[in-house]
Amino acid sequence: MSPDEPSLARLMAASQRGDRAAYRALLTDCRTWLLRYFARRIAPHQIDDLVQETLVSLHRKLATWDSGRPFLPWLAAIARYRWIDALRRQRDEAELGDHDAAVAAEDEAVHARLSLDHLLTRLPPGQAQAITLVKIEGASIAEAANISGQSESLVKVNIHRGLKTLAGLVESE
Amino acid sequence: MSDASIDELIEGLAGELKPVRPRRVLRGGLWVAAGWIAGGALLLWLFGMRHDLAAGEPMAPLPMLAFWLIVALALAASWSALRMGLPGVGRDYGGWRWAGLAALALPLTALIIGLGDSHGALTEMRPDHGMRCTLDGLIAGVGVGAALFAWLKGGAPTSPARAGWVVGIAAGAAGAAAVALRCSSNDMIHIALWHGLAIPLWAVAGRVLLAPLLRW
Repeated sequence: MSPDEPSLARLMAASQRGDRAAYRALLTDCRTWLLRYFARRIAPHQIDDLVQETLVSLHRKLATWDSGRPFLPWLAAIARYRWIDALRRQRDEAELGDHDAAVAAEDEAVHARLSLDHLLTRLPPGQAQAITLVKIEGASIAEAANISGQSESLVKVNIHRGLKTLAGLVESE
Repeated sequence: MSDASIDELIEGLAGELKPVRPRRVLRGGLWVAAGWIAGGALLLWLFGMRHDLAAGEPMAPLPMLAFWLIVALALAASWSALRMGLPGVGRDYGGWRWAGLAALALPLTALIIGLGDSHGALTEMRPDHGMRCTLDGLIAGVGVGAALFAWLKGGAPTSPARAGWVVGIAAGAAGAAAVALRCSSNDMIHIALWHGLAIPLWAVAGRVLLAPLLRW
């Protein structure tokens, strides 16, 4: 069953007062919510890491939730921030010429692409193609250059610029 | 990573939980007000108040209008920066933009006046006439800048770059408002250029120096 706003807000208020049982329940519910949130935004093999990073951020920023406001938008803001951070790290890796391994579970990869596709349509075609080939399909820079007809350095530049634009698009949502 | 390691993480985080005091915008606002008062008071204590105000007379109308526009910008930017410390998807942090747009009336007015009297404008634009005011504005804004930075550092700004800009604008405008109480010039070109210059300078400093430190 998906966690509902009033229960989460109640658990969070108790957590801020130091109730460990409530906090354990809250984090467990948040994990469920975050797994679903990130499943539509990032490659499957990165989801667990991102969920953990977000839970740690939630823990560190516990005092920034105002009990007069709903809980889920607060959690979503923290999750989005961690997601943008992950996108930035991918951008930096692209700058260094590094690239992700191919995604193993094809059906999961297709599922993760659903929301990325929406964002990719807002990029110039060359950038979207470079990101799709290298970051989602796991091609090497050389393979992506062959497939797309772009030079290797242009593929790297397009990945760098594209991920930067994607991060900006997400932040401005 | 696996479900088991997430379970372990949850146990670990729950084990180290301590009660926290929720952060309130009002408390942050009090720190910002204190920083503003401290910066302004220091400036006036060191260099004194402008003559007309010290004699109990009101400011001339245009400088007074400029003063209130800058104060409005400082308040709006401070409020936005304070709200940025408490994240939430769908929250609007853009109130400062409208005050910023209204404050653009100052350079526009200065430009129109300058086009009508280019000789007078050039005189007012000489650095020896105004650099001191800019420097005072930069220093007087430190209190607000420090208070907002500390607030955001303990908070969770989800766009550090934007937060850096807004902290800078708030600090610069707070400093420029304090300078208006010290500098006795009623010239709009002087006010728009040399007092106003503290705002973009602080904004750039906020973006370049503070924003990287606001990442979490």
